[in-house]
Amino acid sequence: MPVLRSRVIPPTKPEIEPLKHPANKIEPATPARTWDTTRPASSGDDDGGDAGRKRKLDVSENLLGLEGGDREGFLNLRSGKKVIKRIGETDGGNSVDGKEKEKGKEKMDFEEVRMLREVSKDGVDVDKLDIKQNADGSCNEKRRRRFGREEKGKAKLIDEHSTVNGSEFINLDLELGTKHSEENVGSVSEPRKEQRVDKKSSVRLSESRMEQFRDIARQNASKFAYFNVEENHLSDDNERLVVADGEVEREIEDWPGPFSTAMKIVRDREKKLNGGQRIGSLDPKKKSNSSILWIPRKGQRQGPKLIIPSLKELSMKILVQNADAITSLEHVPDALRHKLSFMLCDSRQMNSHFLNLLFSGSPTEIRLRDCSWLTEQEFTKAFVSCDTKNLTVLQLDRCGRCMPDYILLSTLASSLNSLPSLTTLSICGACRISDVGFKALVTSAPALRSINLSQCSLLSSTSVDILADKLGSFIQELYINDCQSLNAMLILPALRKLKHLEVLSVAGIETVTDEFVRGFVYACGHNMKELILTDCVKLTDFSLKVIAETCPRLCTLDLSNLYKLTDFGIGYLANGCQAIQTLKLCRNAFSDEAIAAFLETAGEPLKELSLNNVRKVADNTALSLAKRSNKLVNLDLSWCRNLSDEALGLIVDSCLSLRMLKLFGCSQITNAFLDGHSNPDVQIIGLKMSPVLEHIKLQLCPSSPRVNLEKSLFSMGACRREL
Amino acid sequence: MKKEDTVKLISAEGFEFVISKEAAMVSQTIRNMLTSPGGFAETEHGEVTFPEISTTILEKICQYFYWSLQYSRGKETDFHIEPELTLELMMAANYLHT
Repeated sequence: MPVLRSRVIPPTKPEIEPLKHPANKIEPATPARTWDTTRPASSGDDDGGDAGRKRKLDVSENLLGLEGGDREGFLNLRSGKKVIKRIGETDGGNSVDGKEKEKGKEKMDFEEVRMLREVSKDGVDVDKLDIKQNADGSCNEKRRRRFGREEKGKAKLIDEHSTVNGSEFINLDLELGTKHSEENVGSVSEPRKEQRVDKKSSVRLSESRMEQFRDIARQNASKFAYFNVEENHLSDDNERLVVADGEVEREIEDWPGPFSTAMKIVRDREKKLNGGQRIGSLDPKKKSNSSILWIPRKGQRQGPKLIIPSLKELSMKILVQNADAITSLEHVPDALRHKLSFMLCDSRQMNSHFLNLLFSGSPTEIRLRDCSWLTEQEFTKAFVSCDTKNLTVLQLDRCGRCMPDYILLSTLASSLNSLPSLTTLSICGACRISDVGFKALVTSAPALRSINLSQCSLLSSTSVDILADKLGSFIQELYINDCQSLNAMLILPALRKLKHLEVLSVAGIETVTDEFVRGFVYACGHNMKELILTDCVKLTDFSLKVIAETCPRLCTLDLSNLYKLTDFGIGYLANGCQAIQTLKLCRNAFSDEAIAAFLETAGEPLKELSLNNVRKVADNTALSLAKRSNKLVNLDLSWCRNLSDEALGLIVDSCLSLRMLKLFGCSQITNAFLDGHSNPDVQIIGLKMSPVLEHIKLQLCPSSPRVNLEKSLFSMGACRREL
Repeated sequence: MKKEDTVKLISAEGFEFVISKEAAMVSQTIRNMLTSPGGFAETEHGEVTFPEISTTILEKICQYFYWSLQYSRGKETDFHIEPELTLELMMAANYLHT
């Protein structure tokens, strides 16, 4: 903001001498400034005499005392600082305010900032102009005050400071005008009135200005008082889109389609059940709080199913411990190689010996979940001895350390077609690869179908363009989680060219907006099977609407942490995507009825459902789950504290395919559920007495043939977040 | 043991291991072989040949079957495996689904 400086210099002489003497500090020729909170009340006082001033200034004596003598010294010290601060603040005045705002501080802090600015301004004025007495005094006091604040570690000052004198106020020009808080302006004007008895003209002038400022401040104060995350995230694009579809935002129950019917059913059911059992009955079987009727199984269950360690696991464990003694992995099938590799990486026992074993010969699949231990030389050496003509799967996750561009060019991308059969490539965490390296990689692997570029922070939209040009018609899976240099709208044209794309993960890219989703799914939605939109917090129900309209084959959808989604979004999804098998919801604001209605409508094919931290989930959802979810295998109900023992018992006893149930943070569950449910196959994880890390091992069973290992990692990461 | 209760597992070298059916059923593969309808020779004669599994490994596998039955009955002990055998044992166990 430009600094407009129109100054009116009141015709008084600057008086610095008195301030040099510590003794005088309490008796300045300056108008009194009050430092106590009762200031507004005493606004009527007239600071006629020194005594009065003294009195008032006693409160701030300690402040002044701190500064002590050497007023001049202060002046000099301050001047330099102040100028800098002033520039910083005027230019970055907004940013400072913004910062303050973002911390969600009260108006008071904001005032502090403004005061700093005023003080600095005053300081500059002092330096420049050899100011008149009260200005001087005011400056000094301000400075004192500022010093005090700094010295005290910027503790909040409760007092309504009134350090601005009239003349200075005139100079607090337009840029400040909008930023005055009402309070401050009000309080400033009052003491000013008393102080500037002798500066009548300037006072009056500044008073009118003050009024002006005050009005502006009144209008703007509330905006600055409280920082609303959601409001500030709303971009113009989003607003436009939402408004354009405003007519769709009718009541959910007025919609055509199965979702609204389901909602009605759910609500009627709730009414019926709740009407019947209002008061707790004496019969222990009937549950009073919830409307769910669940009878826990009496008598002892057989006990936890004994898991006999399989021979494969036993021998693998021993192999892992003695990995260095392995001389060859010839004839070992790929699945076993991967398992061994993962176990070694997990226990940090992976080394270049095993790496060479994996690379030796003509391997078909190489998977290394963690290459952070690998150095550039080791990798080069191992790769050189590898015959890559049969390599179809290569996973080198977390290879940032060993994979800068030059290594990439000398190994993986050493020649055109050096990886002729490669269909699946994962270089998560290759944070040193740039667009140049990526281009070389793409040209050397012409058969790529699946590529995972998560956390490759240097890749820009150029890379995505190259990908679309060279491999656009083949690519089926693309993971670009957390690629910080990618801007969603810039890569959109390239993504639209990927006609056969089935899996897209843009988790963590904050520039993903409704506009992006719309643009993408209109081009590629008909083939989409998986969409991972975790942490793309700008998305709203509009995205779900377009997804539902254009992605009928969607099997997996991840909407974690999208707090702007509402029941309308779930409604769209229920009506449009009837084939969803994996649905991950986390920290969404959906209501119990909406989830229940979704399950009624589209919940049949669900195999994996996460309702982690979807706090409103309660009995309705439980009933719908029990009724509909026959195929459900994994269920995550962590932090859903509205679910009672009965609700969970009903779910577990009815969902016969259920094998894993996560209940982290569900402190309301008691042994009535744990001992009373009659499903022998389900593993319940997350309650007090169950081993915490076992579930991670459970999730790593690579049972499904699809490239699911990244997903296991992903969900494992999600588990860690829960923990 | 009666003949009907036993199964014969034949290794690559021709060694024959006679074990109880219950023990053999620990392996999912063998269970499928022996119980699948379709008139396979294995079902009729109660013999299964494993041309890729060597004798030492097959012997260890049979020991594992009996250990597994013991474990499920409550007697939980350690099953010791010589490190030299582990690689082949792992592959055989993978094949046998055990």
